[in-house]
Amino acid sequence: MKYLLLLYGDESRWEDMSPEDAAESVKVWSAFGQELIDSGAYVAGEGLQPTAAATTVRIRSGEVVHTDGPFAETREQLGGFYLLECPDLDAALAWAAKVPDLPDGGSVEVRPVMDYEAAGYEQPGAEAGTA
Amino acid sequence: MKYLLTIYGDESRWADATPQDLQDMMAAYEAFGREASAAGVMLGGEGLSPSGTATTVRVRDDDVLTSDGPFAETREQLGGYYLLECGDQEEAIGWAARIPGARDGAIEVRPVMDYEASGVDRDTQAHEAAR
Repeated sequence: MKYLLLLYGDESRWEDMSPEDAAESVKVWSAFGQELIDSGAYVAGEGLQPTAAATTVRIRSGEVVHTDGPFAETREQLGGFYLLECPDLDAALAWAAKVPDLPDGGSVEVRPVMDYEAAGYEQPGAEAGTA
Repeated sequence: MKYLLTIYGDESRWADATPQDLQDMMAAYEAFGREASAAGVMLGGEGLSPSGTATTVRVRDDDVLTSDGPFAETREQLGGYYLLECGDQEEAIGWAARIPGARDGAIEVRPVMDYEASGVDRDTQAHEAAR
């Protein structure tokens, strides 16, 4: 059976972190990711960019509506996900608008995956691309 | 660049759906999965079991705390995910408790939807196509 583990935390803690703490944190996450991979349980995983980078896509009265920020209603539930490789956000938003839930009133949150190397971290290990 | 699309909707509508409604929705998702796969953007995707099957895991002072139901606080943000293949939910919760982020955040553990076991005919759903 496959299980999805969704990771929630206060993202503001990353902003105040010293470079030493960040390096230590990357080491801990790397070790955990390696352990998951070695156990054979690992299928995929990604860190996400902060919620400020999120866009939420809805279709209302036939119009595609984009809102900056993450999905933030509690009346609806997470029902699934896709991980896509797109050249830019516009391409990802265009795919989001085609997700079949949208005409029924659903919403899709689009969030760029964290690029740890570009952010100056060493590769933290478990990422979907390495699966 | 990789983008994660998380899909939110009112899951109660599935409870009242006719078999025809279900079939139509599956066909629409199948078509989306095929189109995104054919375009070369699809890296993965899963439908999830209803939020009632979710368990939220936290670790506080080395104690593993589990609560039934999805993560439902708004002070914390989705920061990443893992998709794991585990023998049962207990094993998945065991891994969740070891995620570094469980010590100051929370991990939602949700079984991925098994469409065949749930009786919905399903030839090429998105994640199959992504393999």
